[in-house]
Amino acid sequence: TELRLSHQWSTGDVRHKVAEMIATDVAAANVDLEIKIFPSESLLKAREQYNPLSRGQVDMIVYPLSYSGGQRPEYNLTLMPGLVKNHDHAARLNESPFMEEIEKIMAEDDIMILVHGYLAGGFASVGDCITRPEHVNGLSTRAAGKSFEEMLAAAGASISSMASSEVYNAMQTGVLQAVNTSSSSFASFRLQEQVKCYTPAGDVALWFMYQPVMMNKSTFEGLSDAQKTALLAAAEKAEAWYLEQAKAEDAASVEVFKAAGVTIAEMTQDDFNAWLDLAKQSSYKSFVDSVPNGQALLDLALAVE
Amino acid sequence: MDPLSLGLLVALMTIVVLFSGVSVASGLLIVSAGFLLVFDGMRSLELMPEIFFGKLNSFALLSIPMFIIMGAAISSTRAGADLYEALERWLTRVPGGLVMSNLGACALFSAMSGSSPATCAAIGKMGIPEMRKRGYPDEVAAGSIAAGGTLGILIPPSVTMIVYGIATETSIGRLFLAGVVPGLLLVGLFMAWSIYDTWRNGSAEVLAQRSYTLKQKLEILPRVIPFILIIVGVLYAMYGGIATPSETAAVGALLCLVIAMIIYRLWSPKALWTILSDSTRESVMILFIIGAAGVFSYMLSSLYITQSIAAWISDLDVNRWVLMGIVNVFLLVAGFFLPPVAVILMAAPILLPIILAAEFDPYWFAVILTINMEIGLISPPVGLNLYVINSIAPDIPLKTILRGSLPYVGCMVLAIVILCFFPGIVTWLPDMIMGPV
Amino acid sequence: MATLPSARAASTGGYLILRLIKGLSTVCGWISAVMILASVLITCQMIFVRFVMGQSTIWQTEAVIYLMIGATLLGLPYVQSLRGHVNVDLIPILVKGRARKMLAGLVLLMTMAVVSVILFYAYENWHFAWERGWRSETVWAPKLWIPYLALPLGFGLYLLQLLADFVALVLGVDRPFGLED
Ligand code: NA
Ligand code: NA
Repeated sequence: TELRLSHQWSTGDVRHKVAEMIATDVAAANVDLEIKIFPSESLLKAREQYNPLSRGQVDMIVYPLSYSGGQRPEYNLTLMPGLVKNHDHAARLNESPFMEEIEKIMAEDDIMILVHGYLAGGFASVGDCITRPEHVNGLSTRAAGKSFEEMLAAAGASISSMASSEVYNAMQTGVLQAVNTSSSSFASFRLQEQVKCYTPAGDVALWFMYQPVMMNKSTFEGLSDAQKTALLAAAEKAEAWYLEQAKAEDAASVEVFKAAGVTIAEMTQDDFNAWLDLAKQSSYKSFVDSVPNGQALLDLALAVE
Repeated sequence: MDPLSLGLLVALMTIVVLFSGVSVASGLLIVSAGFLLVFDGMRSLELMPEIFFGKLNSFALLSIPMFIIMGAAISSTRAGADLYEALERWLTRVPGGLVMSNLGACALFSAMSGSSPATCAAIGKMGIPEMRKRGYPDEVAAGSIAAGGTLGILIPPSVTMIVYGIATETSIGRLFLAGVVPGLLLVGLFMAWSIYDTWRNGSAEVLAQRSYTLKQKLEILPRVIPFILIIVGVLYAMYGGIATPSETAAVGALLCLVIAMIIYRLWSPKALWTILSDSTRESVMILFIIGAAGVFSYMLSSLYITQSIAAWISDLDVNRWVLMGIVNVFLLVAGFFLPPVAVILMAAPILLPIILAAEFDPYWFAVILTINMEIGLISPPVGLNLYVINSIAPDIPLKTILRGSLPYVGCMVLAIVILCFFPGIVTWLPDMIMGPV
Repeated sequence: MATLPSARAASTGGYLILRLIKGLSTVCGWISAVMILASVLITCQMIFVRFVMGQSTIWQTEAVIYLMIGATLLGLPYVQSLRGHVNVDLIPILVKGRARKMLAGLVLLMTMAVVSVILFYAYENWHFAWERGWRSETVWAPKLWIPYLALPLGFGLYLLQLLADFVALVLGVDRPFGLED
């Protein structure tokens, strides 16, 4: 049997390596199962992978679930400011009743999770360091994710929607003054060449995005028992490694920025609380208002210690 | 069937279908649908509209219609003629002065238009009749304009550079800068050839020379101001922190429309509709090919053909310059048959990993690719610039145009060779302005 | 090959239905041109709002992308009616008379077949987005059925123009591939 796995990142990315681990382990298990990986959007564009997975046109994807928040508004909770505090908290969230609810919704689209995983991110700016909401006031900013844009807008930033490929140029010429995205994206956009200050994910971080390995449920159920066992075993091993790497990514991005002579700022617990208060009035509120049963789902997520 | 033989079959079928007279975009859709149905089943056919939509769902593509509007707006005014006349008054002393004026006008116009046919049309409408009237041979008149027009995609802005930037995820601003010096090099080679050719034929004396007084030379200058305004305006928007490269295209389009309306009094609805309908026609044609090529490349990737070809070429284990030679021949042949945008969309994703593995610079390669595409624009059976020359001067037979443009093809090949020996010609300007990659 | 694509627009031979379809395609061309013009203006408005007024630009990028997609799809029948889709007529020049006409018919039929397939799935896709109320994943969050509508609409009208071209070919009011005999 051959399974096709699609994702948007280059072959050096940690998320590609997670996919590769699964493919290697499954092949080694000798259960007539081969996983063919299509990296760098070579099969489907980043934001256009969910529906093909749901219809079985591709078998597996590594995917930031919030990309599909327009179709399933509940998924917006997987990229919500301050909802996840750090990587260990993220790991507990993965095993919580909140995630069970998300998985129920996914099952309606015939999709299941193989590997849970969160990646963190931070702020970078061409001017002064950004640690508190008042620092973004008046800045032209781009954020990865709707909820973050809502929060930044509430802080007085002007939101510029633009393609990720234009961010480098835009920061160079000053069209864009601040960016909020994942640790690994900063380095792949080579933003260290343009920014003055970087606020990475540290002991507390605001930006966490759920980016699991997902699979078409019917395809999984169609596998033999031996194949299922091999796949699940490989997935479990990959999940542990993914968590470990997710922590390492933050530190690695700091090294890249330091080497380029960029100032590194740190967010304190007090700063974090200021952002969280703002998020509660903006993005949390907008989520609860627009999603039926949104409050209950949010409470489930907040209940995770 | 293994992916490589499948790839061969796809190539064969694509050639047969495209030669049948079907439009390039529909042909790509037909081949894709056929192979997906046979080798991937119904489930993939279902994806075709989403992939088509997804391929067009990109802000950077928006600059294609914008840069086309810039060209169309300017070419529907007197501006091309003004520019051309100014150059002519200043270049009368040079052998083959009128050819030089045409090439110079093409180069300057290229700095405003992203498309080669538009450049060709804008300068050719005035230049070809004028050259013929003054006794230049048909082949010189038609050939120099056909070739000069190809500069439209090398000198920024450039529609094909945008498509390359999107297909390979390289910086469009950097690509634009990479095209500047090679563009000037090519203009230089074209001009050097024209001077030599006129001198060789001794026709400098034969051709009726007009001479202009200094007053005549100076009074034409204000009429080139609109051009300067547009170029400065666009460059200022791009490098002055006002807009991103793709957004700049809209500034340029608006500037050109406004200048056409205010300075050249082009405000009748009919005149505006001509600009808009011409640009709509060219944009839709190109964007349809882009969407269809998206479906085609999905088919190639889904059947694992792209990946297998890339692996096969990188396993060839030849010298990197032999590899570059093979790639060039491939691009030339593809360019004979297909419009530039289609070649880039189909070839760039396959070739780029190989090029990078052989340690060539992606921006340098973009320029090499573009010059190859320029050759394709003036070679049969599909040469968009040949269509344009034909519509301007229907009585010049194709073989005369081809004979006239052949020396310029030689210049382009020479330019490729020079760039291979001195890649710094490409990388110097972007490195200086944007810093090394 | 020596014909400019635009030099040979569809001939209708005075048949009312063919003229109506050509008229419809021309109207699509107008709409398409207006959409392109609108995207120029909106992009400039976005630059102004961001650079001069320093305010957020939430909807513009997405709106102009959808306008461009809409312009492309609605432009298909218009460009078809003007014979503006570039092609390689190598085989058509080699064959003459009846064979050329047969080839032209075959090419149109193949094009119609693939356009019909896309039209069918494009309608399904649009219907899903409409029925389930899918939105775009942005702060602006427009309903996706609106931009998705461009697909079935554009390909549907393109199919209609292709059908008219086929009829014109069969009736002999339009030359195969627009070529001289
Ligand atoms: Na140009
Ligand atoms: Na050609």
